[in-house]
Amino acid sequence: MLYNNRDLRVLKEEIEFVDTAIVPVMNIDFDGNMLHHANNLELIQHVTVQLEKQLKGRLLITPALTAVGGNTDSLITYKDQLFEYGFKKVISLSFDAAESEGVNNIKINSIPISDMDNNMKISIINDEVKSVIKQIINVWNQ
Amino acid sequence: MSQKVTRRQFMNYSLMGVGSFMAAGMILPMGRFALDPLFQESSAGDMITTSVSVDDITEEPVSVDFTFEQQDGWYVSEVTDFAWVYRDGDQIVALSPVCKHLGCTVSWASDAANPDRFFCPCHNGLYEKNGANVPGTPPRGPLDMFEVGESDGFLTIGAVKENELV
Repeated sequence: MLYNNRDLRVLKEEIEFVDTAIVPVMNIDFDGNMLHHANNLELIQHVTVQLEKQLKGRLLITPALTAVGGNTDSLITYKDQLFEYGFKKVISLSFDAAESEGVNNIKINSIPISDMDNNMKISIINDEVKSVIKQIINVWNQ
Repeated sequence: MSQKVTRRQFMNYSLMGVGSFMAAGMILPMGRFALDPLFQESSAGDMITTSVSVDDITEEPVSVDFTFEQQDGWYVSEVTDFAWVYRDGDQIVALSPVCKHLGCTVSWASDAANPDRFFCPCHNGLYEKNGANVPGTPPRGPLDMFEVGESDGFLTIGAVKENELV
């Protein structure tokens, strides 16, 4: 499920089945690493689109939470909201291994995909997606 | 030449000849332009050709990719989906991997406890090889099928339809 009108309506009825929320966390600071952040943003978007296609009926992919200046308070507040809504698991997807209380974090490898040719890019993204799916299934089996 | 062609006749004939060439040069393209649409084959209902040859299909389901253009509003993108394809007797069966419960992607024999069934990792849904949903698991109906065909020895996939094997 994605954060759009149609899927959110289905979510309301099927909240017992759609019990996991995936929150992509992005750093968008305007610092020396901007190009790096931009590449990461594109990568995480590709990964979440493929992830949603595979596990659509059990995941809700929220819009990306953006961290400015290293401030991750919004993730804590969001996590509380999600648990209150009825999600049983909240998983954050990020490029650093920051752990948050109550939130399982899955770290994605930051790969420079902006200059790759299309076939290689798709292959790399699919590998990342497979690895993320395995980690999600681990969380479900906990 | 016993007949004497006068200058006037000669001029008349050559002008008529050149004039008819010029007229044909203008009318023929217009005629083609008007008649061509009748000869266009309709593209709706086209079968998409895959890169898997029909002879390679066995009784064991394999995932066969197919690529097509999808239009979302005004944005056209190239999308690759896949189907689970296997041979059943003398017909080829292509099942849709979309779980009938909530849309997750179903895979063949990925559950160790059910090696000859389709398994959905989201809520442990199970389907038999012909797409029938196993009672007691979340899916409420059988997997959809695709129209199949053959083109030059390669498998072609068409429109989605309801399961006809169950």
